[in-house]
Amino acid sequence: MFKLIRGELYRVLHKKSLYVYFGVLALGYVLLAIVRSGGFNDNSIVGDASNLFYLTPALVGGFLFSTIYTDDLNAKNLITLVGYGLSKSKIVIAKIILAAFFVTAFFGLLPLLHSAVYMGFGYTATAAQLAAIYALSVKYLLTTLAYIGISSIVVYGSQRPTFSIVSYILLSFSVIGNLLAMAAHTLNLNISDHLISVITNQIMADMLGGGASILPIMEYAAYIIVSSTLAIIAFNKKEMEF
Amino acid sequence: MILQTHRLTKIYGEFHALNAVSMTLQQGDIYGLIGRNGAGKTTFFKCVMGLAVPTGGTIEINGETANLNAARRQMGFMITPSFFPYLNAKENLEYLCRVKGINEKGKVKWLLKIVGLAGVKKPFKAFSLGMKQRLGIASALLTSPPIVVLDEPINGLDPQGIIDMREVIKTAHTETGATFLISSHLLAELDLVATRFGFIEQGVLLKEISHRELHEQTKKSLTIEVDYAPKAQAVLQSLGIEIASVNNNRLTLNAHLDKSNEVVRALIGGGVELYDLHRQETTLEDYFMRLIGGGEHV
Repeated sequence: MFKLIRGELYRVLHKKSLYVYFGVLALGYVLLAIVRSGGFNDNSIVGDASNLFYLTPALVGGFLFSTIYTDDLNAKNLITLVGYGLSKSKIVIAKIILAAFFVTAFFGLLPLLHSAVYMGFGYTATAAQLAAIYALSVKYLLTTLAYIGISSIVVYGSQRPTFSIVSYILLSFSVIGNLLAMAAHTLNLNISDHLISVITNQIMADMLGGGASILPIMEYAAYIIVSSTLAIIAFNKKEMEF
Repeated sequence: MILQTHRLTKIYGEFHALNAVSMTLQQGDIYGLIGRNGAGKTTFFKCVMGLAVPTGGTIEINGETANLNAARRQMGFMITPSFFPYLNAKENLEYLCRVKGINEKGKVKWLLKIVGLAGVKKPFKAFSLGMKQRLGIASALLTSPPIVVLDEPINGLDPQGIIDMREVIKTAHTETGATFLISSHLLAELDLVATRFGFIEQGVLLKEISHRELHEQTKKSLTIEVDYAPKAQAVLQSLGIEIASVNNNRLTLNAHLDKSNEVVRALIGGGVELYDLHRQETTLEDYFMRLIGGGEHV
């Protein structure tokens, strides 16, 4: 499995569009900051982060999801991996580990970029503000990873890149979450506390409050474990598409 | 025996894609699996490579029947050239090297040289079909596998591409000593590389035959019909001409086909009455069509 992760790291890091895409995103971020710089003040650094980070699951997660998962489908690489004797469960687990790696790398650097841009305009984040920005980043990191995990069920169950991308986009724009909440409301069920967005909000609030309740963390872990398990089952049931 | 299937069966709904296929691949063979489109070649390969679950039967790879995944790690294959479009030939093979844990220095360079892609820098998406197929063969050889499975490696290639591919397969077979299992519907092409053949039709393996046996059955012959065969036999034997078969008063010669004039003169001179004489040639296609009982041409 670690050989696969090693190979995947090599592949992703040799994808030139990765650098182009993130270069364009970083440039856009800086340009946006320039446009908004007139309204900057000591307190706006966290509020701006909240507004801008909101788009990251779609903009960043979407690209990473496509690179890690749907590139495999487009290149028919799953045929190669399975034909090489790799077990399907190892492929699914390796992919989620890889996704976690890239998502963590991105959301680890994002607060630094945000703070650096503000610093460029003469505003230095205080320790509390930096902690708040990092907590926000962790929230979106966890959200993105959960969306990727859930969409991986569609990847392996359908083995069709379009279905997979669409499912990720619908998740990242909260379409599926809202539909579920509406359906639950109609059925008089209260599931809103168990939606990814609410769970990750709770984790972020706990981080900022200095405490850590175990329940949201366990619920989050359950999302990843259950979605990966379902992806493995779907992959094992679905015959390879040619 | 390096690969064997016993009554391998694959059923999709009501459709029998493979019907009790028992096939044997000997070490060092270039085994040509021949069949029309939809005959079951790819399904057979999919089952062997673990990409489809057989409905019945067994597969034995290198003596292994239980842990086939481990055995499959020893195999190289190309069912369809599957590569990342944004990576070039070298990068795609380097990726696979990492996935397979291959650390041999210079391996990728050597393989790219064998398949004629050394120095090609453009990404896979800009490759011609022939280049894609050649890269597929390089990837199949990456682990120095004892068995290499190639599904339709010459399909869709132009005449030059077919010649190149034939040379690549021959070179790879000589250089690596691997056993090859190749499918195609182009019988004449496989005939130029394969040492053994299997004919498949509607999911049934109709016959396995060696290259020598196949040519025994398809070679040219001269058929002579006479009034009295023993007399004709004696005349021909006195001239040192070997008779392949005698059926009633019909004699078949496989040699001296270019000396039909002399044969006729000798027979008439020997008092043999000649009723008919004609050359016969069974092409590989004729042989295949006879095997499958007529139908469309391959």
